[in-house]
Amino acid sequence: MKKRGFLLLVLLLAACRGEEPKAAVSPVSTRPAAPTPEPVLGYIDESGQGTPAEGGVLHRRLVGEPGTLNAVLQTTLPEQQVLQYVSRNLLDFDSRLRLAPGLAESYEASPDGKEVRLTLRAGAVWEDGTPVTARDAVFTIRRIVDPAVPSTLFKSLFENLESIEALDERSFVAKFREPYAFHAMAFVLPILPEKRYAGKTFTKVRENREPLANGPYRLVSWKAQDSIVLERNPKYFGPPGHFERILFRILPENSVAYRALVAGDLDETIIEESLKERAAHDPAYAECCRTVEFYNLDYNYIAINNRSPFFSDPRVRRAMTMLLDRPGIVRNIFRNSARIISGPWAPDSPAYDPSVLPLPFDPPGAAKLLAEAGWRDTNGNGTLDREGREFDFELLVSAGSNVGRQIDETFAAELAKAGVKANVRALEWASFVERIDSGRFEAASLAWSASDPNPDPFPYWHSSQFPPRGLNSGFYGNPEADSLMEQARREMQEEERVRLYHRLHRIFRDDAPAVFVSNSSAKYAFRKDVAGLVTTPIGFTGIWPGPAGWWKRPAAPAPVEAR
Amino acid sequence: MIRYIARRLLLAVPTLAGIVVIVFLLLHLAPGSPVTAAGGESGRRISGRAAEEMRRLYGLDRPLPERFGKWILRVVRLDLGESFVDRRRVSDRILEALPYTLTLNGLALLLTLLIAIPLGVEAGGRPESAFDRISGAALFALYSTPSFWAALLLQTLFSVKLRWLPLYGVASDPEPSGLAGFADRISHLALPVVCLTYGSLAFYARMVRAGVAEARNADYVLAARARGLSRREALWKHAFRNALLPLVTLLGLVLPGLLSGSVIIERIFAWPGLGRLYFDSILSRDYPVVLALSLVGAVATLAVTLAADVAYAVADPRVRDGTAE
Repeated sequence: MKKRGFLLLVLLLAACRGEEPKAAVSPVSTRPAAPTPEPVLGYIDESGQGTPAEGGVLHRRLVGEPGTLNAVLQTTLPEQQVLQYVSRNLLDFDSRLRLAPGLAESYEASPDGKEVRLTLRAGAVWEDGTPVTARDAVFTIRRIVDPAVPSTLFKSLFENLESIEALDERSFVAKFREPYAFHAMAFVLPILPEKRYAGKTFTKVRENREPLANGPYRLVSWKAQDSIVLERNPKYFGPPGHFERILFRILPENSVAYRALVAGDLDETIIEESLKERAAHDPAYAECCRTVEFYNLDYNYIAINNRSPFFSDPRVRRAMTMLLDRPGIVRNIFRNSARIISGPWAPDSPAYDPSVLPLPFDPPGAAKLLAEAGWRDTNGNGTLDREGREFDFELLVSAGSNVGRQIDETFAAELAKAGVKANVRALEWASFVERIDSGRFEAASLAWSASDPNPDPFPYWHSSQFPPRGLNSGFYGNPEADSLMEQARREMQEEERVRLYHRLHRIFRDDAPAVFVSNSSAKYAFRKDVAGLVTTPIGFTGIWPGPAGWWKRPAAPAPVEAR
Repeated sequence: MIRYIARRLLLAVPTLAGIVVIVFLLLHLAPGSPVTAAGGESGRRISGRAAEEMRRLYGLDRPLPERFGKWILRVVRLDLGESFVDRRRVSDRILEALPYTLTLNGLALLLTLLIAIPLGVEAGGRPESAFDRISGAALFALYSTPSFWAALLLQTLFSVKLRWLPLYGVASDPEPSGLAGFADRISHLALPVVCLTYGSLAFYARMVRAGVAEARNADYVLAARARGLSRREALWKHAFRNALLPLVTLLGLVLPGLLSGSVIIERIFAWPGLGRLYFDSILSRDYPVVLALSLVGAVATLAVTLAADVAYAVADPRVRDGTAE
C-alpha cells in the first residue's frame, strides 16, 4: 500500500516539472480501489529530552513586517511570534491545550458561566521593575472594549462583558451578561502597563513600538522590513529563556527562507508542500535539517451561500459535497498528508465526532439528488436548469491561495461532468474578504485557521450571525442546529458539551451548509540542533512555553553515529 | 524665458491635480478596504461590530468627497498623514525606506552604464561584426531572463553552495564596524544589484550602439580619423559624444524610477526598500501610504520632465518661442 502511494507520487512529480503548483491539479480522478493511507503525524514533545543548553542566538523568520508591538492591537502572525516572547498572557494553553497559569497564578469561573476571577502572581513585574497589577489587567480589558481602540483580535472575546473590576492589587473579576462555556479562554490575553498608556492616545504611545516586557525577553532593536532583535529580560519572574538573544529576520519569500535555513542563516521556517518535497530530495537539507509535520485544527472548505437559489435546498448542498473528489484532493493536492472532514472542525478537535463519516465521492448519487431537487437539463444544452435558471455560478478563490485554486479547479471539473457550471474566479485577498464577509457570493474556497482550541461554531453557523453583523457568511440557518449551538455554549460540563457538539456534527454533515474538504498538515523545517520542540493541534506559537522553551544543542565534537 | 518656465509650471499644476484625483479614486473605489485586509491572509476574520468600529477609526464611514478634501488639505500643508497599519507618520516610513531603494537602484544604474556604454560603443563601432552579433544575442538573452529566477539561482550558487555572499538583508547581525562593515554592506548589495543590472543592460547598450553606429560614418568622425586619431579615439571622443545626447534625455526620464523599488527583487533579498513598502501597503489597503508614494512618484516625474523641458528651451530658442516644428 505504502509503495503504491509512493509510485503515484513519483508519477505526479514527473508530470509537474516546470510548473509545479498548477500541474498538481489532476481533475481526472482515478478512483482508488482501496482507501488512501493516512500517515500518522503525531504531536511531538521534546521538552524533556536532554539537558537544555544555555546561551546562543535563535534565528527565526517572520514572513512580514509587524504593524505594531502593542499586544492588544496585534492582528498578524509575525506580531504574535515576537510578542509571545515579550508579553506573557494572563492564562496560557499548555501542550495539552488546557488552561495553565501565566501572569495569573489561578482563575476561577463561576458555575453559572458569567463570572471569571483571576489572581496574578506575586512576583510578576514589568521590565522596569514595577509589579504587574490587577489594575493593568483591568485597564487593558477596558481598552479592548473601547470603541476607539482597534483591538480586532480580542474585541469579540469581550463582546458581552458587563463589568470588570480590580478587587485588590493582584486580583480582579470580570462579569459577563451571558453565560459562556469558554469565557476563561478570553484571558489567554497579554496585558499592558497602565502607567505608560493612561491619558495618552492609545494608538500613538511609544510603547506600541517599544513594548514594556513582562515576559522572558525584551526588545533590543527593530529595523523596519529587516529584523527584530530580542534579548533576555533580566527582570522576568520565571525561569530565563535558554537563548541569549532571539533574532527575527523579516523574510517574505518561502523559497529564500528555505535556502537561508540550509545555509545556516535561519533556524526554522514554515514550508509548503512543494518545499517539503524538495527537502526530501535535497542531501544538504538532510544533513542539517529536519521536517516537522503535524495536524492542526485548520481545515479547508468551500463556503456556499445557503440563500442562493442554487443552494437553498440541502439535497443540492449534499450533492455538492458528493461531487467534490475529496479522496483525490487528499492524494493529489495534499500528497496524502490531509484528512477528509465531515463538519466544521478538524478531527483533533473534541467537538469532532469520528463516527460521523464523510459523505462519499459519488457522482451518480449526486446526480440523483440534483434531479430530486428539480435540476434537470431540459433544454439539452449540457447544463442543468430549473424553472428557467441555468445551474451556473461563480466559484471564488483568493488569488494568493494555491491550494484553494486547486480545490476550486478540481471541483469545477467534476461539476462540469455533472452538468453544473462553476466559473472559478480569483480575487485579491482584501476584495475576496469583502465579498465573503458581506455574503455577496455563491461559493468560495476558504481556509479555516484556528489559533485557539475554542470549538464554538456559534459565530460562524448560527442564524443570528448573518452578515453584515456576523460571520455566518453562508447564511446557514437550521433551528435545530441553532438550538444545539446555544445549549452547547452555555453548557459548563465538558462531557455534556461534547455530546451536544457531536449531535451538531451529524446535522452539519447532513445539512452540508458548506463543502467541508480536509484538514491538512502544518509543515515546518528546523535546523537539527534546535531542541525542545513541542507541537500541538494549535501549532507551537499559541502555547506556553512554545518557542520560548526551545534551546540549541551544542555542536557535537565530531558526528559520532554509532553503527 | 521666465514666462516660458512660468507657463510650464502652471501647466504642471492641473497635471498633478489630475494624477492625485485619479490615484485617490482608484484606490478608494477598488474593492476591499483596510478592514477586510486587516491581518492579511493569516489574520482572523473580524466580526461586524469590530469592523464598524475600525471603519469609524479610519474615517472610512465618511463620504468620499469629505475624505478627499481632508487629505488634500493635509497634503497642501506637507503633511502626508499616518499609516493605517502602524500609526506612524507616513513621511517617516517613506524616509526610512528611501535610502535603501536609492542605494540599490542608484548602484544598479551606475553599474548598468559602466557596462552598457563600452559594450554599445564597441558594437556600434563595427556594426554586424562578430562582437556586435554575439554581444547583442547575449544581451537579449539576459534581457529575457526573469529576474526572480536569476535571483534564486544566484542565491543558491553564491550564498548556499559557495557561501561567498550573504543570502539577503542589508547587513549582518551583529554588524561589523569600520572597513569590515563597509565590506559587509557591499557584499549584501552584490546580488540584488546584479539582478537589477543585467536585465537593463540590453536597453542602454543597444541604444548607445545605434547612436554610435549612425555617427560612425559622419563627416566629423571621418575628419577626426583623417587628422590621425585612432579608431578608438574617434569613436569615443566624437561618435559617442553625439550618441550621448539621447542617452542623457533618457536618463532624465529614468531618474524618478530610482524612487520606485523593484518589488520582486526587494522581496527575494528582503531589502527594506520602497517597493516592498508600496506593495505591502496596497495589499493592506494602507491608503495614506499608497497615496503618499504615488504622490511622491508623480511629483518627481513632473519635476524631471519640467527640468528637461526647461533645458531644451535653454538649448533651443525655437522651443521657447513655440515655433518649433
